Amino acid sequence: MEFQSCVNIKKEWDIVGARQLGRDIARKIGFGTVDQARIATAISELARNIYLYAGTGKVCFEALEEIDRKGIAIIAMDDGPGIKEIGQVMEDGFSTSGGLGAGLPGVKRLMDEFDIHSEEGKGTEIRVVKWLR
Amino acid sequence: MNLTIDVSHKDNNVTYLTLAGEVDAFTAPKLKDTILPLTKEEGQTVEVDFEQVNYMDSTGLGVFISALKSTKEHGTELRLLHMQERVYRLFKITGLTEIMNIDSTVQGGM
Amino acid sequence: MSTLKLDLENYKELLQEYIRSKDEQALYQAEQFSKQSMQQKISPDEIINIHIQSLQEIYPEMPEYIQSSLNFLLETMISYGLAYQEHQSLREKQLELKSEISVAANMQKTLLSTVKPEIEEVEVGALSVPAKQMNGDYHHFVYDEKGTLGIAVADVIGKGVPAALCMSMIKYSMDSFPEMRMDPSVILGSLNRVVERNVDSSMFITMFYGLYDSRDHTFTYSSAGHEPGFYYHKDQGEFEEIDVPGLVLGVSAETTYTQYVKEVEKGDMIVLLTDGVTECRQGERFIEQEEVLDVIKSYADLPAQEIVDQVYKHFERLQGFQLRDDFTLIILRRNV
Repeated sequence: MEFQSCVNIKKEWDIVGARQLGRDIARKIGFGTVDQARIATAISELARNIYLYAGTGKVCFEALEEIDRKGIAIIAMDDGPGIKEIGQVMEDGFSTSGGLGAGLPGVKRLMDEFDIHSEEGKGTEIRVVKWLR
Repeated sequence: MNLTIDVSHKDNNVTYLTLAGEVDAFTAPKLKDTILPLTKEEGQTVEVDFEQVNYMDSTGLGVFISALKSTKEHGTELRLLHMQERVYRLFKITGLTEIMNIDSTVQGGM
Repeated sequence: MSTLKLDLENYKELLQEYIRSKDEQALYQAEQFSKQSMQQKISPDEIINIHIQSLQEIYPEMPEYIQSSLNFLLETMISYGLAYQEHQSLREKQLELKSEISVAANMQKTLLSTVKPEIEEVEVGALSVPAKQMNGDYHHFVYDEKGTLGIAVADVIGKGVPAALCMSMIKYSMDSFPEMRMDPSVILGSLNRVVERNVDSSMFITMFYGLYDSRDHTFTYSSAGHEPGFYYHKDQGEFEEIDVPGLVLGVSAETTYTQYVKEVEKGDMIVLLTDGVTECRQGERFIEQEEVLDVIKSYADLPAQEIVDQVYKHFERLQGFQLRDDFTLIILRRNV
């Protein structure tokens, strides 16, 4: 079973929509309450980044099923300005000062896998995965 | 202690900075950001009023040294006014009174 | 108290015990539990999760609205958990940085180290203490077999790493001078050109350079805007300021330095220092120059090294054991 469903991010309200859809998918896969909360938080961070820095973009979800494990993948895509120094945004304390959010390092902590592609002037794609234990 | 910097314009060519408080490692960067651009505007004279500066350390002195260098580069002028004795002493020891335009009427007497 | 296991079973038992007995013992165990959780980097949301699960097992009939409210709490705590983990990782990084700086500080110590000369004719006491880990003050002794002792005391504007880097540059410039005796005015003149060319416009260095000739007991010196030193007349018990004009290093490439000579009488002292000594503060009050001199005078009968040590101890205590600026004090005394 593998399907993809997406939420477009244009306004702040869309972040809630993305959380809702992501949480529903996570629940169906079998994630418990804590993991649902973590996944929703990660979605918030990714969607908020799109909303704040790229303006528009989308967040997509995939239910993953392998022989011995199940999980969820979240893919955040935008055509925004891109990230010049990925190393810098992945550093603790860089984007979090002032309590704005957990930032990308936070997303990385919430999930099991984290991958980012970004090109200046073209956009950013972040793919994160959490496996069901 | 803090430093407040008040910028006013006497006439078209003279910018008057009134400082109050302490110029030290914490406040010097702010002062530098204010004063350096002014020394780069052609034909400008920057006057700095020290009357309410009760303490300055070597970092503060560094700001005025860069400002002085900048005036030489850009053909502008820097004048330091109404220094308290303790602050004046710093300029005196470092030999800067010889090469800077410092108003000699020192506040509080020597 | 046995070590606790951080699992659901354990927490559930503790919780059950507490609900039954309202016992302080159980609460103390809860405290242990939370401390151990921190040690094992367990985040707050995880503890709430264990709490929710325990409640569900203890009270299977728990009302739906309680369950929902706990889930709400869990959601609220997720960000705190993340902030906590980030805090932990930043703390580790801070420790790394600290140890890196202390390695650098040790390197600096080795690089800038100078040997205090042991000469029969003139006794030397010297002490330099940084306010932070890296020292922006610098002093250096050069003694040649003909009997002249060169002493440099310098202060870089600012403190910390930038000042220390700058000081290393000065040290290497001085090392590149020829071995033979050089006049203080010449040394300052050439250092001035080095600093003027190589250092940021807002950085400058003050330096005092003196040459003590142990054959005729003359002291030849020049100053580049350095804090004035003092000459102590033993007979009168009085200090005289060694106030010499001279521009700080690095401001103007054309600057020249004047040189002065002083004859030193037996038992008299030359006191060289940096503004970390004269700019001592007691609370908000500045220490007056006379106070510094009085303190030096009160120890004047001790060996030179003990004088500088005692003076430092005095002002360290006065400033609540927290130096605001690097502190360097050197005392020379003619012995024979």
